[in-house]
Amino acid sequence: MTITIALPSKGRMKDDASAIFERAGMKIVAVGNDRSYRGRVEGWDDVEVAFLSASEISREVGSGAVDFGVTGEDLVREGIADADARVEFAARLGFGHADVVVAVPEVWYDVDTMADLGDVAADFRARHGRRLAIATKYWRLTQQFFSGSHGIQLYRIVESLGATEGAPASGSADIIVDITSTGSTLKANHLKILLDGVILRSEACLVRARKAAHDGDPTIDRIISSVRSIL
Amino acid sequence: MPLINLPAFAGDLLADFERLKTLRVDTPVIQPAEPFLDMAGEDLRRRIFMTESETGDSLCLRPEFTIPVCLRHIETATGTPQRYAYLGEVFRQRREGSSEFYQAGIEDLGDTDTAGADARAIGDAMLVLSNRLGERRLKVTLGDQSVFEAVIAACGLPSGWQKRLIHAFGDQKLLQKLLGELADPKSPGVFGYEVERLAILGILDDEERLVAHLTETMEATGYSTNASRSPREIARRLKEKMELATTRLDKAALAVMREFLAFDLPLSEAPAALHAFAKKSKLKLDDALPLFDARVAALAKAGADSDLIRYRAAFGRPLDYYTGLVFEIEAEGAPAVLAGGGRFDRLLTLLGAREHIPAVGFSLWLDRIERAIAAAGALK
Repeated sequence: MTITIALPSKGRMKDDASAIFERAGMKIVAVGNDRSYRGRVEGWDDVEVAFLSASEISREVGSGAVDFGVTGEDLVREGIADADARVEFAARLGFGHADVVVAVPEVWYDVDTMADLGDVAADFRARHGRRLAIATKYWRLTQQFFSGSHGIQLYRIVESLGATEGAPASGSADIIVDITSTGSTLKANHLKILLDGVILRSEACLVRARKAAHDGDPTIDRIISSVRSIL
Repeated sequence: MPLINLPAFAGDLLADFERLKTLRVDTPVIQPAEPFLDMAGEDLRRRIFMTESETGDSLCLRPEFTIPVCLRHIETATGTPQRYAYLGEVFRQRREGSSEFYQAGIEDLGDTDTAGADARAIGDAMLVLSNRLGERRLKVTLGDQSVFEAVIAACGLPSGWQKRLIHAFGDQKLLQKLLGELADPKSPGVFGYEVERLAILGILDDEERLVAHLTETMEATGYSTNASRSPREIARRLKEKMELATTRLDKAALAVMREFLAFDLPLSEAPAALHAFAKKSKLKLDDALPLFDARVAALAKAGADSDLIRYRAAFGRPLDYYTGLVFEIEAEGAPAVLAGGGRFDRLLTLLGAREHIPAVGFSLWLDRIERAIAAAGALK
């Protein structure tokens, strides 16, 4: 069986992923020219590589269209319902670190925890005639964290596909759920992370689609152990 | 109605509704999604079937009838009081069963006789279920949000704690967690560095100075002072939070609250038990108990079999438009809830009604009733 690994098609993620595989003895070479979206692994004839965008990778691994993918845990957990049942996080790769966090305006001096936010959300409608609005691209993670972990139901999600940190100051939302690596963009926008507001500590992961065909396939085990051996 | 998947008893049920002098209404299957998400919260999004109009408005398949019936009432500017009945398909993903199923029910809008309307809603639900299920005994569970609210108010908690507990009413796990926090003097409130600085500067104790400081900070950092939470709202909540952090419920008060929440007894015994509880615990419940008593009396007068009804003090729904009565009906021996209802005095104004319209109603799960009938038939 040919095993397909999906790797990021551009940027730092692409370089970092290639470097890890090379150190693991799996040097990746593009098929045809450098900008080709197909690749192979030198010396591994039963493995092929597909270069895809990061969010496509999580979708393709989730549906089982590819066997492995390298992408951020945040995208996997956001993109796939019941992620742990459908994919295995085979290795955490140590790059692409970023946290998905709940951040509120710094000037909300009375809000430091999710419990505080719950109080504010419960009252919001009565005071403002609308629900507390959260700008985010992370619908699923937000719902799981707010409803599932903290019993907060009364809020509305405002979809934001870019410059989410600016939403509270511009008035298009009250708070945000977004990804941050250093926190400097949040600070520049006068936002603070709640003390218990880290939803996910994400990094790039080698993710395997849980497929019955993988059972007992030696190539699958070899890929995982090769990558794990150098981490 | 030409649909062939309708439960066989649909016609008889509609005849019952007509005898109960209700006005049958239908609402479009395709509804604006906003009101449902707004009232029930984002969690509903995963369970309803959503789509978009050509112009980008969010639409959904009708997940229930109460909101569409109320919206229709507001739009058609129908006068009150008015009792509506409905029967139709709703669409919702459930853990068990098909995601399209039939519901029917009655919504009673604008009757100012609260006790009488409450009793009629319970009585009507029991009647139409008995008419379907024959001799199967019904099991009615009744709760009352306003009694719970009165008890925690009488315990003398600061308003922030009252709000937290009221918000958690109906969610056992959350409520027990909050009571635990109230009793446990170890968990301190969390305050940021900036709050400590303001405390040292003495700004914290002076609401006007605090509001001025917040306004200044918001203006300096490019935040509007009126688009979201205002400086005064933040200042007042900060004060409330300091109270929350320092409030401890003494053992006696906590025991009183737990004793109340443990009440689970036949409704006919509940009024006496509640009065005795209030007297023994020295709680003033004068605002809530008369209505409770009047409802029990109205139920007796309407001829509802009070032996079938139990009062459970901790029973509620964690939705903020429910205000008083909640009830559920099962058939004895079957675990499924066949009917659920309650009072939602806040819903119509939330949906845009200009004046306050009290409302109470119930809905029936027709697929479960069908199964209960089939199970009863199999027994014979």
